[in-house]
Amino acid sequence: MATLVIMPRQGQSVESCVITEWKKKKGDTVAEGDVLFSYETDKSSFDEPATVAGVLLEVFAEDGDDVPCLDPVCIIGQAGEDISALMPKASAEESAPAAEEKAEEKVEEVKKEEVVVATASADKDGMLKISPRAKNLANKTYADLSAVTPTGPNGRVIERDVNRLLDNGQRLTPEQYETFMKTGVAPASQVEEAPAAAAAATAPVAEYEDVKLSNVRKVIAKSMHESLSNMAQLTLNASFDATQIMAYRAMLKKNAEAMGLNNITFNDMVLFAVAKTLKNHKDCNAHYLGDKMRFFNNVNLGIAVDTERGLLVPTVFNADKMSLNELSANAKTVIKAAQGGSISPDLLSGGTFTVTNLGAMGIESFTPVINPPQTCILGVCNISRRVKQVNGEDVFYDAMGLSLTFDHRALDGAPAARFLKELCANLENFNLLMAK
Amino acid sequence: MPKSQYVDPNKVFEPGFISFNDIPVCQYKKTLAEEKKIYTKDDMMRIYHDMRIIREFETMLNEVKTKSAYNGIEYNNPGPAHLSIGQEASAVGEAYALDMNDFSFGSHRSHGEIIAKSLSSIHKLDEKEVYDIMKEFLGGTLLSIVEKHMPTSNIKELAKNFILYGALAEIFARTTGFNKGLGGSMHAFFIPFGLMPNNAIVGGSAPIALGAALYKRANHKPGIIIANSGDGALGRGPVLESFNFASMDQITKLWGMDGKYPNGGLPILFNVFNNSYGMGGQTRGETMGYDMAARLGAGFNPDMMHAERVNGYDPFAVIDAVSRKKELLLAGKGPALLDVVTYRVSGHSPSDSSTYRTQEEIDAWIAADPIAAYKAKMIKGKVATEAEFAAIDEDIINRMTTVMKLAINDEISPRMDLTKNPEAISSIMFSNEKVKSMDPTREAEMLVPKEECPRVKEIKGKIRTAKDANGKPVSKMKMYNIRDGLAEPIIDKFYDDPTLIAYGEDNRDWGGAFGVYKKMTEAIPYHRFFNSPISESAIVGSAVGYAMCGGRAIVELMYADFMGCAGDEIFNQMAKWQSMSAGILKMPIVLRVSVGSKYGAQHSQDWTALAAHIPGLKVVFPSTPADAKGLMTAALEGTDPVIFFESQRIYDKGEEFLKDGVPEGTYEIKMGDPDVKKEGKDITILTIGAVLYRALEAAKTLEEKYGISAEVIDTRSIVPFDYTKVIESVKKTGKIIIVGDAVERGSIMKDMAANISELAFDYLDAPAIALGSRNWITPAHELETEFFPYPDTIIDCIHEKILPIPGYVAKHNFSDVEKIERYKKGV
Repeated sequence: MATLVIMPRQGQSVESCVITEWKKKKGDTVAEGDVLFSYETDKSSFDEPATVAGVLLEVFAEDGDDVPCLDPVCIIGQAGEDISALMPKASAEESAPAAEEKAEEKVEEVKKEEVVVATASADKDGMLKISPRAKNLANKTYADLSAVTPTGPNGRVIERDVNRLLDNGQRLTPEQYETFMKTGVAPASQVEEAPAAAAAATAPVAEYEDVKLSNVRKVIAKSMHESLSNMAQLTLNASFDATQIMAYRAMLKKNAEAMGLNNITFNDMVLFAVAKTLKNHKDCNAHYLGDKMRFFNNVNLGIAVDTERGLLVPTVFNADKMSLNELSANAKTVIKAAQGGSISPDLLSGGTFTVTNLGAMGIESFTPVINPPQTCILGVCNISRRVKQVNGEDVFYDAMGLSLTFDHRALDGAPAARFLKELCANLENFNLLMAK
Repeated sequence: MPKSQYVDPNKVFEPGFISFNDIPVCQYKKTLAEEKKIYTKDDMMRIYHDMRIIREFETMLNEVKTKSAYNGIEYNNPGPAHLSIGQEASAVGEAYALDMNDFSFGSHRSHGEIIAKSLSSIHKLDEKEVYDIMKEFLGGTLLSIVEKHMPTSNIKELAKNFILYGALAEIFARTTGFNKGLGGSMHAFFIPFGLMPNNAIVGGSAPIALGAALYKRANHKPGIIIANSGDGALGRGPVLESFNFASMDQITKLWGMDGKYPNGGLPILFNVFNNSYGMGGQTRGETMGYDMAARLGAGFNPDMMHAERVNGYDPFAVIDAVSRKKELLLAGKGPALLDVVTYRVSGHSPSDSSTYRTQEEIDAWIAADPIAAYKAKMIKGKVATEAEFAAIDEDIINRMTTVMKLAINDEISPRMDLTKNPEAISSIMFSNEKVKSMDPTREAEMLVPKEECPRVKEIKGKIRTAKDANGKPVSKMKMYNIRDGLAEPIIDKFYDDPTLIAYGEDNRDWGGAFGVYKKMTEAIPYHRFFNSPISESAIVGSAVGYAMCGGRAIVELMYADFMGCAGDEIFNQMAKWQSMSAGILKMPIVLRVSVGSKYGAQHSQDWTALAAHIPGLKVVFPSTPADAKGLMTAALEGTDPVIFFESQRIYDKGEEFLKDGVPEGTYEIKMGDPDVKKEGKDITILTIGAVLYRALEAAKTLEEKYGISAEVIDTRSIVPFDYTKVIESVKKTGKIIIVGDAVERGSIMKDMAANISELAFDYLDAPAIALGSRNWITPAHELETEFFPYPDTIIDCIHEKILPIPGYVAKHNFSDVEKIERYKKGV
């Protein structure tokens, strides 16, 4: 009995996954536990191991294909086994139009006249009028709708129009089809003619490389753009005297081993101070939901992490309930998981406030972009030497910069500034904060 | 129009006068001394008790409605409460004279009648009978509640608690009410005590009660029928139709069939509780011209309906009158009419601010209060002491308080839970039973054995297909047609079910206006098959009453257009009683209506949509002889009300689809199952009724001229309807047009198009299109091709809206612009 492998659903919000790489080819023998293929959601990547041993009899998707969750991906069974019952139905129906080709002769005569109600596939509003049935057929067969002649009422593309395309071999590749359906822009060439290599030979040599955007990149692009275009964001900059946290960190370092502490970083200390300070500033630990504000009782800190695949923001849940050491340990775990690309999608959401740190790169101040529907994001900047006057004398000290972006729709400048001020005070008096 | 009765021109013009007898007005004159000879002290105290309990029941509801509390118990009742404070003596007096075999029907103001007749029944039955009735009712649910929470070793006291609780729980919409809370205040009833449904439609009970009297009369059952109404109802056509229908000569002159069968009149008493008001309109002096309601009796038959006016504030006067009328009715002298003068002190409803009457008038009637007057008379006459009455009062108040606590207790008396059981009401909309005979204990009364029925003999000699073995069309005289398809199962049922009766206009000798009942007169006795007056309300309403009592009826309205004349009876009575009774009542009625053509605007309408719109009705419209037979069999075998549409265009059609012709013997088609009359692959044409044949012509043209293969499906039924076959067809063809003769707007075609679009959206290659007639009056026959869908209209519509046909030029305008324009104009 052959086994159908389906695309797993990784997290409740995931609708489809992209196959990044097949580790086995059709016909390969696989042992239980062998990785069949790697795939990624918009946020994480995973390996799919074989749950049975056998031969990879059929493969339904290729590298780079976006497969809806729970759809079939491949079949594992014994060599020569009948797997027709497990084959997706679409491929069986594809042959149907061919069977109907034998139209009656007297009909053929009439058909040649052609009823051309409209010549373009899109109407004056740029809308493609197509019946659900015709659209379903095109979706299955990738018929080249850019070349269709609609013969339905009011310029609607109907089933017979798509069938005519198919009869003429006017089909697109799945990618071209997808592009056309999304943009309405017709591809330069059709599958049947003009192979890609020939086209490339006549074109001038291009000094660039087209790389398809990864899913992660697409998601980042979309959410960042939405964030900036939908919100009223502005950034407040401040700095604080980092003398005490530096001394505190030096002390921790010295005793870390003896006390079994983590390697607690400045960033961990900032996270800790943020989690504690937010308790007094509910506007900043909130979601702006259009017609209402959602204030959270606990602090779920999002931590912006730079990964190979792009920006990810894992969440440390209930950060306000943790000791500095616990917070540090938890932050490290999620950051590592994000960098490894194996983080559960459920850990990539649910944040109530985000901290992003570009200090290590020497950034003195910046305007971080809010992760909606959160109301704030804190940017942590570098530490630089500054001078202040104490009792009439110039004193050098180490200052750390903080950049707080907030959504002016959700809160005003003064409350945001008050939060930043209290945060600076807490960090300047870190010993006292620890005592609270 | 029986030939036995000669309309003689020499006689009809003879001069003379119509004379009337006197109508007695409040002629009851017995003294207490005389009354003491008739009634024992117990009887007299019981009369007081029963009036007093009604008063307390209504007072309690009045308190709840106006103060949201009774005797310190708070409750809010949003439902209606039309109270009868003041009318107690009338109700108790009437019920006193009745027994279990006498069925009473009421109005929206009938709490008093329910309680009075229940109490009277409890008194008359022995303990075991009463207990068995309570035990059997709704599986003993109500009994176990009152046994547990109002225990008493006295069965009759228990029964009082039972009826008060059942009625109040019903009024408060509790599942433990008489009708599981689905009837409510204006529809409560309790059949085991002869209490038939009350009715929220003013006068609605009159034709229904008429039907119950027909049931008693046609099935030789004992007892009489009481049709209670208010005086306001006397302005309603259905009430006057019922007076006339009940009085019709044939019942005494023809139904006896020369001594073969009884020849008495209908045992029905139309009892008017005349409280002077129809809501706010004063009947005597404002909205009527009869002066006294009893006068109406003089208009309906030479017996003047034995009409009489009675003092409804004196229970003895009412008992006396009702007893005398009952005697007359049992002697076959019905119908009768009583005008019982009373007054409702409490107004039309608790929200009545009495803007139409003076306080002086109300005070005068309160001073004349029938209960107080009765008590005073009894004390003065030394029947009982003040203390004895006080003890009764106290018991009643305590009892009512306990009943109310019980009825508003959400745990003991819950409401229907439609969240937990969302289909609870769905399950009682139809009874969906199959019952061959509504009374298998009796033989059907027929005049000749079945094989000697002239129609049976005629059908036997017919050819059951439209074409003979050589493919030649069978001559019309020899061909089994749709009329035969309808008649065959009807005749069978007349022999199988002794309760079956059929009536309507011109049914008997004429054979039905369109010949469906031809040659049946010779086989069926008059009382089972007769011509009714032209009284559509009474025709349909009486069928409802006939079915309520346990009979089966086929009634006919000739043209479908006449459904409007029986609007309330079809839409509010026939459709709703099964569900309003929580499934206690069955409604085995077939209402035959025929869709005309050639006869203009008021005789050519297909009103399937009107029938289908009302929940509770089954609707069919067959268009072949076999389907007519199969669906008539199903309709007659079932226990649900069926509106049976026929078409005058196609009564002559033979069987063109079943190779072996219309099946012999019993042949039933499942209601709701459409039938593929012609297979095809490019487009589906779904038809309703006679348009099937025009659709087939269109399909032929599409195929022969344009190479388009059409699948033609006949809906056959409209409610219920199984979409499975249609969806399967649409999956294949991707295109569907639904065609019928009804005007397009709001039609079944539109309804089906919407459902198909919903169910098969992804398979559709064009919107599901509904094609009906234009939103006009039906024009003259010569213009009908531009009104009804004809083959060219169908093809035009397909070409314009679904599948443009190369080389085809449409004659009719189906463009979007035109559509918007027409709807903008309302046409």
